[in-house]
Amino acid sequence: MPRLEALSEVQRRTLEFFPCLENDTAPWVAPKELSRSKLALVTTAGLHLRDDQPFARDAAGGEASYRVIPSNCNPADIVQSHFSIGFDHTGIYRDLNVTFPVDRLRELADRGVIGSLADNYYSFMGALRDPSRLISETGPEVGRRLLAEGVDIALLTPT
Amino acid sequence: MSVLARILEEHRIATTAIAMVREHAAKVKPPRALFVPFYFGFALGKPDDPTYQHRVIKAALDLLQYAAGPVLSDFPEPDDPALMPQASEVTAAPFQVSRNTADEVTALRAFYERWVGSHGGRTAVGLSGIHQRRFRGMVRFLEAVARGEDDADLPERPPAVSNPQFIRYCADDLKAFYYEARMAQQPTADADALHRWFWGSTAGGKLIADIAGRLNATDDPTLKAIAYGLAR
Repeated sequence: MPRLEALSEVQRRTLEFFPCLENDTAPWVAPKELSRSKLALVTTAGLHLRDDQPFARDAAGGEASYRVIPSNCNPADIVQSHFSIGFDHTGIYRDLNVTFPVDRLRELADRGVIGSLADNYYSFMGALRDPSRLISETGPEVGRRLLAEGVDIALLTPT
Repeated sequence: MSVLARILEEHRIATTAIAMVREHAAKVKPPRALFVPFYFGFALGKPDDPTYQHRVIKAALDLLQYAAGPVLSDFPEPDDPALMPQASEVTAAPFQVSRNTADEVTALRAFYERWVGSHGGRTAVGLSGIHQRRFRGMVRFLEAVARGEDDADLPERPPAVSNPQFIRYCADDLKAFYYEARMAQQPTADADALHRWFWGSTAGGKLIADIAGRLNATDDPTLKAIAYGLAR
Protein backbone atom coordinates (compact mmCIF):
# COMPACT_ATOMS: atom_id res chain seq x y z
CA MET A 1 0.00 0.00 0.00
CA PRO A 2 1.19 3.55 -0.53
CA ARG A 3 1.88 5.79 2.45
CA LEU A 4 -1.41 6.67 4.14
CA GLU A 5 -0.87 10.38 3.56
CA ALA A 6 -0.55 9.75 -0.18
CA LEU A 7 -4.03 8.28 -0.41
CA SER A 8 -7.26 10.10 -1.11
CA GLU A 9 -9.02 11.60 1.89
CA VAL A 10 -11.79 8.95 1.68
CA GLN A 11 -9.38 6.05 1.52
CA ARG A 12 -7.04 7.40 4.18
CA ARG A 13 -9.85 7.97 6.66
CA THR A 14 -11.37 4.56 5.93
CA LEU A 15 -8.08 2.86 6.72
CA GLU A 16 -7.19 5.02 9.70
CA PHE A 17 -10.49 4.43 11.41
CA PHE A 18 -11.01 0.82 10.36
CA PRO A 19 -12.09 -1.06 13.50
CA CYS A 20 -9.12 -3.45 13.91
CA LEU A 21 -8.93 -5.95 16.72
CA GLU A 22 -5.71 -5.33 18.62
CA ASN A 23 -3.52 -8.06 20.07
CA ASP A 24 -0.23 -8.24 21.93
CA THR A 25 0.75 -11.75 20.92
CA ALA A 26 -0.08 -14.22 18.17
CA PRO A 27 -0.91 -17.92 18.13
CA TRP A 28 2.03 -19.92 16.84
CA VAL A 29 2.52 -23.32 15.22
CA ALA A 30 6.01 -24.60 14.41
CA PRO A 31 5.66 -25.43 10.69
CA LYS A 32 6.94 -28.55 9.00
CA GLU A 33 9.58 -28.20 6.34
CA LEU A 34 8.00 -26.61 3.27
CA SER A 35 9.11 -29.37 0.88
CA ARG A 36 7.24 -31.90 3.03
CA SER A 37 4.17 -29.72 3.64
CA LYS A 38 0.75 -29.58 2.08
CA LEU A 39 -0.10 -25.98 1.29
CA ALA A 40 -3.47 -24.31 0.84
CA LEU A 41 -4.20 -20.91 -0.58
CA VAL A 42 -6.67 -18.84 1.43
CA THR A 43 -7.75 -15.46 0.17
CA THR A 44 -9.89 -12.57 1.30
CA ALA A 45 -10.29 -11.35 -2.28
CA GLY A 46 -13.93 -12.37 -2.67
CA LEU A 47 -13.14 -14.99 -5.32
CA HIS A 48 -15.30 -17.98 -6.19
CA LEU A 49 -16.15 -20.38 -8.95
CA ARG A 50 -18.10 -18.93 -11.83
CA ASP A 51 -21.20 -21.01 -11.02
CA ASP A 52 -21.00 -20.42 -7.26
CA GLN A 53 -22.98 -17.79 -5.38
CA PRO A 54 -21.24 -14.40 -5.66
CA PHE A 55 -20.55 -12.51 -2.45
CA ALA A 56 -23.12 -9.85 -1.62
CA ARG A 57 -22.83 -6.70 0.39
CA ASP A 58 -26.33 -6.86 1.81
CA ALA A 59 -25.16 -8.35 5.11
CA ALA A 60 -24.62 -5.75 7.82
CA GLY A 61 -20.95 -5.33 8.65
CA GLY A 62 -19.87 -7.37 5.65
CA GLU A 63 -20.21 -10.93 4.48
CA ALA A 64 -18.38 -13.53 6.55
CA SER A 65 -19.23 -16.57 4.44
CA TYR A 66 -16.63 -18.42 2.39
CA ARG A 67 -16.37 -20.32 -0.88
CA VAL A 68 -14.45 -23.48 -1.69
CA ILE A 69 -12.22 -23.38 -4.77
CA PRO A 70 -10.79 -26.80 -5.71
CA SER A 71 -7.07 -26.43 -6.38
CA ASN A 72 -7.35 -28.44 -9.59
CA CYS A 73 -10.14 -26.30 -11.06
CA ASN A 74 -9.67 -24.46 -14.33
CA PRO A 75 -8.54 -20.94 -13.31
CA ALA A 76 -10.83 -19.62 -16.06
CA ASP A 77 -13.69 -20.68 -13.80
CA ILE A 78 -12.66 -18.28 -11.03
CA VAL A 79 -14.25 -14.82 -10.78
CA GLN A 80 -14.24 -12.05 -8.19
CA SER A 81 -17.23 -10.37 -6.57
CA HIS A 82 -15.38 -8.32 -3.96
CA PHE A 83 -17.47 -5.17 -3.59
CA SER A 84 -14.82 -2.66 -2.62
CA ILE A 85 -14.10 0.01 -5.19
CA GLY A 86 -10.96 0.95 -3.30
CA PHE A 87 -8.71 -1.46 -5.18
CA ASP A 88 -7.58 -1.50 -8.76
CA HIS A 89 -9.30 -4.30 -10.65
CA THR A 90 -7.01 -4.00 -13.67
CA GLY A 91 -4.41 -6.20 -11.95
CA ILE A 92 -6.68 -9.20 -11.65
CA TYR A 93 -8.30 -8.50 -15.03
CA ARG A 94 -4.85 -9.05 -16.51
CA ASP A 95 -3.68 -11.91 -14.34
CA LEU A 96 -5.46 -13.85 -11.61
CA ASN A 97 -2.08 -14.70 -10.08
CA VAL A 98 -1.52 -11.13 -8.91
CA THR A 99 -4.13 -11.87 -6.23
CA PHE A 100 -4.56 -15.63 -6.22
CA PRO A 101 -1.33 -17.27 -7.39
CA VAL A 102 -2.71 -20.63 -8.51
CA ASP A 103 -0.25 -21.01 -11.36
CA ARG A 104 2.73 -19.97 -9.25
CA LEU A 105 1.91 -22.48 -6.52
CA ARG A 106 1.52 -25.25 -9.06
CA GLU A 107 4.97 -24.37 -10.38
CA LEU A 108 6.42 -24.51 -6.87
CA ALA A 109 4.80 -27.89 -6.24
CA ASP A 110 6.10 -29.22 -9.58
CA ARG A 111 9.61 -28.08 -8.62
CA GLY A 112 9.35 -29.75 -5.22
CA VAL A 113 9.67 -26.49 -3.30
CA ILE A 114 6.26 -27.23 -1.78
CA GLY A 115 5.48 -30.81 -0.80
CA SER A 116 1.98 -30.82 -2.26
CA LEU A 117 -1.02 -28.62 -2.82
CA ALA A 118 -4.21 -28.96 -0.81
CA ASP A 119 -7.27 -30.32 -2.58
CA ASN A 120 -9.22 -27.19 -1.73
CA TYR A 121 -8.47 -23.51 -1.49
CA TYR A 122 -10.75 -21.14 0.44
CA SER A 123 -12.00 -17.67 -0.28
CA PHE A 124 -13.53 -15.05 1.99
CA MET A 125 -14.63 -11.46 1.51
CA GLY A 126 -12.18 -8.98 2.96
CA ALA A 127 -12.75 -5.59 4.58
CA LEU A 128 -15.12 -7.00 7.20
CA ARG A 129 -16.14 -4.25 9.55
CA ASP A 130 -17.70 -6.76 11.90
CA PRO A 131 -15.66 -9.98 12.07
CA SER A 132 -17.90 -11.60 14.73
CA ARG A 133 -19.23 -14.36 12.53
CA LEU A 134 -15.80 -14.96 10.99
CA ILE A 135 -14.39 -15.46 14.48
CA SER A 136 -17.21 -17.53 15.91
CA GLU A 137 -18.22 -19.60 12.93
CA THR A 138 -16.78 -19.48 9.43
CA GLY A 139 -13.10 -19.00 10.28
CA PRO A 140 -12.99 -21.98 12.68
CA GLU A 141 -15.01 -24.02 10.19
CA VAL A 142 -12.36 -23.48 7.52
CA GLY A 143 -9.63 -24.17 10.09
CA ARG A 144 -11.23 -27.53 10.85
CA ARG A 145 -11.66 -28.31 7.17
CA LEU A 146 -8.03 -27.52 6.41
CA LEU A 147 -6.88 -29.69 9.28
CA ALA A 148 -9.12 -32.56 8.16
CA GLU A 149 -7.73 -32.20 4.64
CA GLY A 150 -4.20 -32.67 5.94
CA VAL A 151 -3.07 -29.11 5.28
CA ASP A 152 0.08 -27.96 7.05
CA ILE A 153 0.51 -24.42 5.76
CA ALA A 154 -1.84 -21.72 4.50
CA LEU A 155 -0.69 -18.80 2.37
CA LEU A 156 -3.13 -15.92 2.77
CA THR A 157 -3.56 -13.30 0.08
CA PRO A 158 -5.68 -10.13 0.07
CA THR A 159 -6.81 -8.13 -2.91
CA MET B 1 -7.24 -11.21 6.75
CA SER B 2 -4.95 -10.94 9.73
CA VAL B 3 -7.83 -12.08 11.94
CA LEU B 4 -8.35 -15.10 9.71
CA ALA B 5 -4.65 -16.00 9.89
CA ARG B 6 -4.85 -16.05 13.67
CA ILE B 7 -7.93 -18.30 13.60
CA LEU B 8 -6.30 -20.80 11.23
CA GLU B 9 -3.12 -20.85 13.30
CA GLU B 10 -5.24 -21.60 16.36
CA HIS B 11 -6.47 -24.62 14.40
CA ARG B 12 -2.87 -25.84 14.01
CA ILE B 13 -2.39 -24.57 10.46
CA ALA B 14 0.85 -22.61 10.09
CA THR B 15 0.02 -19.40 8.25
CA THR B 16 1.88 -16.75 6.36
CA ALA B 17 -0.02 -13.76 5.04
CA ILE B 18 0.55 -10.99 2.54
CA ALA B 19 -0.55 -7.71 4.10
CA MET B 20 -1.47 -4.53 2.23
CA VAL B 21 -1.99 -2.25 5.24
CA ARG B 22 0.99 -2.36 7.54
CA GLU B 23 -0.74 -0.39 10.29
CA HIS B 24 -3.56 -2.92 10.48
CA ALA B 25 -1.27 -5.97 10.52
CA ALA B 26 0.78 -4.35 13.28
CA LYS B 27 -2.36 -4.03 15.41
CA VAL B 28 -4.03 -7.38 14.72
CA LYS B 29 -0.76 -9.34 14.75
CA PRO B 30 -1.15 -12.34 12.50
CA PRO B 31 1.55 -14.94 13.24
CA ARG B 32 3.53 -14.16 10.08
CA ALA B 33 2.85 -11.30 7.68
CA LEU B 34 4.75 -9.85 4.75
CA PHE B 35 3.91 -6.20 4.20
CA VAL B 36 3.97 -5.33 0.51
CA PRO B 37 4.01 -1.69 -0.63
CA PHE B 38 1.84 -2.22 -3.69
CA TYR B 39 -1.43 -0.54 -4.52
CA PHE B 40 -4.62 -2.39 -3.55
CA GLY B 41 -5.38 -5.03 -6.17
CA PHE B 42 -1.72 -5.92 -6.70
CA ALA B 43 -0.94 -8.19 -3.76
CA LEU B 44 1.82 -9.97 -5.66
CA GLY B 45 3.12 -6.80 -7.23
CA LYS B 46 2.99 -7.24 -10.98
CA PRO B 47 0.48 -9.02 -13.22
CA ASP B 48 1.95 -11.20 -15.97
CA ASP B 49 5.34 -11.27 -14.26
CA PRO B 50 5.82 -14.78 -12.84
CA THR B 51 9.42 -14.11 -11.77
CA TYR B 52 8.40 -11.12 -9.69
CA GLN B 53 5.39 -12.96 -8.23
CA HIS B 54 7.67 -15.81 -7.20
CA ARG B 55 9.88 -13.30 -5.36
CA VAL B 56 6.91 -12.12 -3.33
CA ILE B 57 5.70 -15.66 -2.60
CA LYS B 58 9.20 -16.71 -1.55
CA ALA B 59 9.45 -13.74 0.81
CA ALA B 60 6.13 -14.75 2.37
CA LEU B 61 7.07 -18.42 2.65
CA ASP B 62 10.49 -17.55 4.10
CA LEU B 63 8.69 -16.21 7.18
CA LEU B 64 7.89 -19.82 8.05
CA GLN B 65 11.54 -20.24 9.05
CA TYR B 66 11.24 -17.94 12.07
CA ALA B 67 11.35 -19.73 15.40
CA ALA B 68 8.98 -17.34 17.15
CA GLY B 69 6.58 -14.56 16.34
CA PRO B 70 4.57 -12.61 15.54
CA VAL B 71 6.66 -11.66 12.53
CA LEU B 72 5.87 -8.59 10.44
CA SER B 73 8.38 -8.27 7.62
CA ASP B 74 8.65 -5.68 4.83
CA PHE B 75 9.02 -6.68 1.19
CA PRO B 76 12.03 -4.68 0.01
CA GLU B 77 10.58 -2.50 -2.70
CA PRO B 78 10.16 1.26 -3.05
CA ASP B 79 6.81 2.47 -1.75
CA ASP B 80 4.47 5.06 -3.20
CA PRO B 81 2.99 3.12 -6.10
CA ALA B 82 0.77 4.97 -8.55
CA LEU B 83 -2.66 5.79 -7.17
CA MET B 84 -5.81 4.73 -8.97
CA PRO B 85 -7.96 7.59 -10.27
CA GLN B 86 -11.62 7.33 -9.28
CA ALA B 87 -14.42 8.40 -11.60
CA SER B 88 -14.82 11.81 -9.99
CA GLU B 89 -11.15 12.59 -10.61
CA VAL B 90 -11.41 12.05 -14.36
CA THR B 91 -12.63 14.83 -16.59
CA ALA B 92 -15.18 13.39 -18.98
CA ALA B 93 -14.90 14.22 -22.64
CA PRO B 94 -17.93 15.87 -24.25
CA PHE B 95 -20.24 13.16 -25.54
CA GLN B 96 -21.73 13.10 -28.98
CA VAL B 97 -25.49 12.68 -29.07
CA SER B 98 -25.26 9.52 -31.17
CA ARG B 99 -22.95 7.78 -28.76
CA ASN B 100 -24.46 5.11 -26.56
CA THR B 101 -23.36 2.20 -24.43
CA ALA B 102 -25.08 -0.52 -26.44
CA ASP B 103 -23.24 0.52 -29.60
CA GLU B 104 -19.96 0.67 -27.69
CA VAL B 105 -20.54 -2.85 -26.41
CA THR B 106 -21.10 -4.08 -29.93
CA ALA B 107 -18.02 -2.26 -31.19
CA LEU B 108 -15.84 -3.62 -28.38
CA ARG B 109 -17.05 -7.20 -28.62
CA ALA B 110 -14.40 -8.39 -31.06
CA PHE B 111 -11.66 -7.01 -28.83
CA TYR B 112 -13.19 -8.59 -25.74
CA GLU B 113 -13.41 -11.96 -27.43
CA ARG B 114 -9.83 -11.62 -28.60
CA TRP B 115 -8.79 -10.94 -24.98
CA VAL B 116 -10.59 -14.01 -23.67
CA GLY B 117 -9.26 -16.16 -26.48
CA SER B 118 -5.69 -15.12 -25.81
CA HIS B 119 -6.03 -15.72 -22.05
CA GLY B 120 -7.19 -19.30 -22.03
CA GLY B 121 -10.79 -18.32 -21.34
CA ARG B 122 -9.93 -16.31 -18.23
CA THR B 123 -12.20 -13.31 -17.83
CA ALA B 124 -13.58 -11.31 -14.92
CA VAL B 125 -16.97 -11.10 -16.66
CA GLY B 126 -19.47 -13.50 -15.15
CA LEU B 127 -21.16 -12.22 -11.99
CA SER B 128 -24.54 -11.41 -13.53
CA GLY B 129 -24.86 -14.74 -15.33
CA ILE B 130 -25.67 -12.87 -18.53
CA HIS B 131 -23.55 -13.86 -21.51
CA GLN B 132 -21.65 -10.95 -23.01
CA ARG B 133 -23.38 -11.46 -26.36
CA ARG B 134 -26.57 -10.43 -24.61
CA PHE B 135 -25.14 -7.33 -22.97
CA ARG B 136 -27.23 -4.98 -25.07
CA GLY B 137 -30.24 -6.12 -23.05
CA MET B 138 -28.32 -5.65 -19.83
CA VAL B 139 -27.40 -2.14 -20.97
CA ARG B 140 -31.08 -1.30 -21.53
CA PHE B 141 -31.75 -2.44 -17.96
CA LEU B 142 -28.92 -0.29 -16.58
CA GLU B 143 -30.11 2.69 -18.60
CA ALA B 144 -33.57 2.27 -17.07
CA VAL B 145 -31.99 2.24 -13.61
CA ALA B 146 -30.07 5.40 -14.48
CA ARG B 147 -33.35 7.08 -15.52
CA GLY B 148 -34.80 6.21 -12.12
CA GLU B 149 -37.33 3.62 -13.29
CA ASP B 150 -38.00 1.81 -10.02
CA ASP B 151 -39.51 -1.27 -11.65
CA ALA B 152 -36.51 -1.93 -13.90
CA ASP B 153 -35.54 -5.57 -13.66
CA LEU B 154 -34.25 -8.47 -15.71
CA PRO B 155 -35.53 -12.05 -15.88
CA GLU B 156 -31.95 -13.27 -15.45
CA ARG B 157 -31.83 -11.96 -11.86
CA PRO B 158 -31.86 -14.97 -9.52
CA PRO B 159 -34.62 -14.76 -6.90
CA ALA B 160 -32.08 -14.84 -4.08
CA VAL B 161 -30.24 -11.80 -5.42
CA SER B 162 -31.72 -8.41 -4.56
CA ASN B 163 -32.30 -5.94 -7.34
CA PRO B 164 -29.67 -3.48 -6.04
CA GLN B 165 -27.11 -6.26 -5.72
CA PHE B 166 -27.93 -7.39 -9.26
CA ILE B 167 -27.33 -3.86 -10.51
CA ARG B 168 -23.86 -4.12 -8.99
CA TYR B 169 -23.13 -7.47 -10.62
CA CYS B 170 -24.28 -6.14 -14.01
CA ALA B 171 -22.18 -2.99 -13.63
CA ASP B 172 -19.12 -5.02 -12.62
CA ASP B 173 -19.58 -7.27 -15.64
CA LEU B 174 -19.91 -4.28 -17.92
CA LYS B 175 -16.76 -2.69 -16.47
CA ALA B 176 -14.76 -5.88 -16.82
CA PHE B 177 -15.98 -6.27 -20.41
CA TYR B 178 -14.86 -2.74 -21.31
CA TYR B 179 -11.48 -3.00 -19.59
CA GLU B 180 -10.61 -6.39 -21.03
CA ALA B 181 -11.67 -5.25 -24.50
CA ARG B 182 -9.53 -2.14 -24.12
CA MET B 183 -6.53 -4.18 -22.99
CA ALA B 184 -6.81 -6.19 -26.21
CA GLN B 185 -7.35 -3.04 -28.25
CA GLN B 186 -4.44 -1.15 -26.69
CA PRO B 187 -2.08 -3.67 -25.07
CA THR B 188 0.37 -1.00 -23.90
CA ALA B 189 -2.21 0.97 -21.88
CA ASP B 190 -1.28 1.09 -18.19
CA ALA B 191 -3.81 1.06 -15.35
CA ASP B 192 -4.06 4.84 -15.17
CA ALA B 193 -4.72 5.11 -18.90
CA LEU B 194 -7.38 2.41 -18.67
CA HIS B 195 -9.25 4.17 -15.85
CA ARG B 196 -9.07 7.54 -17.58
CA TRP B 197 -10.32 6.01 -20.82
CA PHE B 198 -13.24 4.25 -19.12
CA TRP B 199 -14.45 7.09 -16.92
CA GLY B 200 -13.49 9.91 -19.25
CA SER B 201 -14.38 8.83 -22.74
CA THR B 202 -16.85 5.98 -22.81
CA ALA B 203 -20.63 6.04 -22.64
CA GLY B 204 -20.42 2.89 -20.51
CA GLY B 205 -18.37 4.70 -17.87
CA LYS B 206 -20.78 7.61 -17.93
CA LEU B 207 -23.73 5.22 -17.56
CA ILE B 208 -22.26 3.61 -14.43
CA ALA B 209 -21.40 6.99 -12.94
CA ASP B 210 -24.97 8.15 -13.69
CA ILE B 211 -26.40 5.09 -11.92
CA ALA B 212 -24.19 5.76 -8.92
CA GLY B 213 -25.41 9.35 -8.85
CA ARG B 214 -29.03 8.26 -9.08
CA LEU B 215 -28.75 5.63 -6.31
CA ASN B 216 -26.75 7.94 -4.11
CA ALA B 217 -29.46 10.60 -4.31
CA THR B 218 -31.96 8.32 -2.54
CA ASP B 219 -32.39 8.00 1.21
CA ASP B 220 -32.07 4.21 1.08
CA PRO B 221 -28.82 3.11 2.76
CA THR B 222 -28.75 -0.13 0.74
CA LEU B 223 -28.86 1.81 -2.52
CA LYS B 224 -26.28 4.28 -1.24
CA ALA B 225 -23.98 1.39 -0.40
CA ILE B 226 -24.36 -0.03 -3.90
CA ALA B 227 -23.73 3.42 -5.38
CA TYR B 228 -20.53 3.72 -3.36
CA GLY B 229 -19.21 0.54 -4.93
CA LEU B 230 -20.11 1.55 -8.51
CA ALA B 231 -18.32 4.86 -8.87
CA ARG B 232 -17.12 7.62 -6.65
